[in-house]
Amino acid sequence: MFVVFRNSGAIIHIQGLSKTYMVNQQEAGTSATVQGIFHRKKIEVHAVDDISFNMASGEIVGFLGPNGAGKTTTLKMLSGLLYPTKGTATVLGHIPWRREKSFPRQITLVMGQRNQLIWDIPPIHSFELNRVIYRIPRDDYQRILKELTELLELGPLLTKPVRNLSLGERMKCEIAAALLHRPQVVFLDEPTIGLDVTMQRRIRAFIAEYNKRFDATVLMTSHYMADVEALCKRVVVIHHGHLLFDGELALLLQKFTSHKTIVIQLGECQVDLNTYGEVLSCEDGRYTLRVPKAETARITERLLADLPVVDLLVEDPPIEEVIDRAFAEWNK
Amino acid sequence: MNYLRLLKVFFQVNVVDELAYRVNFFINLLQSLLGLGTALAGFAIIFSFTDSLGGWQPDEILALVGVYILIGGIIRFAIQPGMEQLIQSVRDGTFDFTLTKPEDAQLITSISRIGIWEIINVFLGFSLLGISLVRLGGTIGGLQAIEFILMLLTGSVIIYSFFLILATLAFWLVRVENILMIFQSMYQAGRWPISLYPGWLRYGLTFVVPVAFATTIPVEALTSRLNWMTLLGAFLGAVVLFIVSRAFWKFGLRHYSGASA
Amino acid sequence: MRSLFQLYLQQSKTTFASMFQYRAALLIWMIGQVLEPLIFLIVWSTVSNGNGGSVGTYTTGAFVSYFLILMLVNQFTYTWLMWDYEWRIREGILSFALLKPVHPIHSFVADNIMSKAIQLPVLTVIAVALAFAFHASLAVTPWVVLLFIPALVLAFGVRFLLEWTLAQAAFWTTRVSSINQLYFLLLLLLSGQIAPLSLLPHSVQIAAKILPLYWTVGFPTELLLGKLTLSVAVFGIGVQIAWLIITLFLARLVWKFGTRAYSAVGQ
Repeated sequence: MFVVFRNSGAIIHIQGLSKTYMVNQQEAGTSATVQGIFHRKKIEVHAVDDISFNMASGEIVGFLGPNGAGKTTTLKMLSGLLYPTKGTATVLGHIPWRREKSFPRQITLVMGQRNQLIWDIPPIHSFELNRVIYRIPRDDYQRILKELTELLELGPLLTKPVRNLSLGERMKCEIAAALLHRPQVVFLDEPTIGLDVTMQRRIRAFIAEYNKRFDATVLMTSHYMADVEALCKRVVVIHHGHLLFDGELALLLQKFTSHKTIVIQLGECQVDLNTYGEVLSCEDGRYTLRVPKAETARITERLLADLPVVDLLVEDPPIEEVIDRAFAEWNK
Repeated sequence: MNYLRLLKVFFQVNVVDELAYRVNFFINLLQSLLGLGTALAGFAIIFSFTDSLGGWQPDEILALVGVYILIGGIIRFAIQPGMEQLIQSVRDGTFDFTLTKPEDAQLITSISRIGIWEIINVFLGFSLLGISLVRLGGTIGGLQAIEFILMLLTGSVIIYSFFLILATLAFWLVRVENILMIFQSMYQAGRWPISLYPGWLRYGLTFVVPVAFATTIPVEALTSRLNWMTLLGAFLGAVVLFIVSRAFWKFGLRHYSGASA
Repeated sequence: MRSLFQLYLQQSKTTFASMFQYRAALLIWMIGQVLEPLIFLIVWSTVSNGNGGSVGTYTTGAFVSYFLILMLVNQFTYTWLMWDYEWRIREGILSFALLKPVHPIHSFVADNIMSKAIQLPVLTVIAVALAFAFHASLAVTPWVVLLFIPALVLAFGVRFLLEWTLAQAAFWTTRVSSINQLYFLLLLLLSGQIAPLSLLPHSVQIAAKILPLYWTVGFPTELLLGKLTLSVAVFGIGVQIAWLIITLFLARLVWKFGTRAYSAVGQ
């Protein structure tokens, strides 16, 4: 297979990547189950369908999409765990699924819901294991360990068995274990899932700092908008396996913000404001209205003129909502 | 070589916490002694009614029991834990981490776990073997000893390859949790000479589940019962099975990674 | 009563479903169950044949029958309570059972009986096949069969309650595997699984008859084999009843203290 490196400057180059699964169709009901023993219907599931994009060195890109969109499958292909059905990709000049010897040393994969740390023993032992597996010279190992311990505040955690750590502490150690060999490319699959807000913030700060210090290229999936907002200038959006958007986050928001939110404080919740806009909620006289962006100024005028307004605020809708609506639109 | 360093680290990782609990040692010692006691009880009862069993002298059977415990210990020390860990990690998805590492996945899997306390069984089996050898005294010559050690090694390779094949099946049969139990349940037949069993059972214990290679054949070598054809066959079988198991493993990996076969 | 019946019915559906799911594992388990008595069958047959056709009161054919019947009796009476219990406590799901309005023991009993409903027929067929293959000899008289049935049921009851009591040890310690192993060693020796009791040293025979283990497996087997006189058999059933009462009492006692200890820890 002759591969042409058209974008040789790109650290990650993905072209027409697709992954299709054959899945047994399971229907409910006794007769269907019995039938299923003799004849299984198989359907094609296009987990990833013809996606293409590139990443330059040092970029942090957010890979967005609802559950089952194909994010994890794409990451698995890029780290060499899965063979694609069609298309090609190179990471640092290697074709990942060829699993060339030098490839794993340059990348790392962190999966938010699975641990590579050994459960019953302190993380430091798992770190030692990685040191040997990745053949990290002792000095480098000590140095990077010190840095990671500082940045992630790992101090007291290193000697406690992993099962005794909280979810957030475990995640910090997982991330450290994955970075000991100073990979050039970092794949993060839902790194902040299930963590409390404080911990999420800490980990986001760490990723930003790591990217700055080591110039690592980071591809991160998440369905927490806060992750993406904090870290990624650029987002790639995937849905039903298709790539739907590749560009700046600000652009995405602009494109799909067709509405604005007006929050207006009145005396109580008795008045019907549906003539002004879509009433989303009302609590203690504080109404939340959704109005078309173009009409915002006019409706604000009317509200101020007609009602005893105590306070009025115009906001952009929450980003989650924007994305949801974008997906809803794309679904049509 | 990195392999040795890996071995060392995995050993430390597996052992470090276990050794912290002295109680574990005594509990495992007790369990091993109970296992030994059971085997010896059976032995004692049988030989209170007869002088030989299928042509085997009591001390030869004793040697067989010793090898049974010794090999059983080696299997549960070095071979089984790694394979169990492999099967479990395929099921819970952490096998992906093994695949992203720069070392050979089969290597990592094979040495990733050890059953540290099985050392006790290895020791007990060895001791029992030693005692029986002393009692057998003059009948064991240098040639028998060499054949014995060769057959032990051959047997170990055969069993390792067999376990690898079973574990590789886990890529397809994710739901068969206890597939390794196949060997476990059939292994108890190894406590007695395979020659006692009817043809079909002997066949099964040699070519289907290779229990014969674990216990009977090495002790047959020791007691001059082994003809050179069997010896050669066992050796060749080990080589072939090792190669086949490695090939099957690679095939299984490709399936796991969704490569169009 | 009616709700209990429905509970058993419901439990059987769950048991069948999970057995179907794990049918390969079940197959592997059954191979082990057949192999152990088969091995001793072969070994003892070899000894017997080399000894002129019999050892003690057992001919070669009798040995074959003994171990095949033993296999089935063992299958009828065995439980996996000690692992099940310990596993549930470790996973923290025993609490669910404790919260239900029915005593948890019922779901264990139902699960046990329903699993055997599938395993026993298969093993019986295998036992019959092996009986032919190894030339078993068996002569039954009517009263033997008549007494065998209550002996078997009582054996199941005693063993279930005994192992239930031992399983409760999991309330107090996580190291139940040692207790289990000791129990199974004793079971192996004293219930007749290595050799018929009459072939063991005299002191061991006495110990076996004092402890309940012989009465759970060895006794019904020897009874069906015709190795016991009528009076001995009837006496034996009396001993079984006595043990049933004792184990029931023990089980209740340990349950009371066990659940108290369990809830005190606030799981």
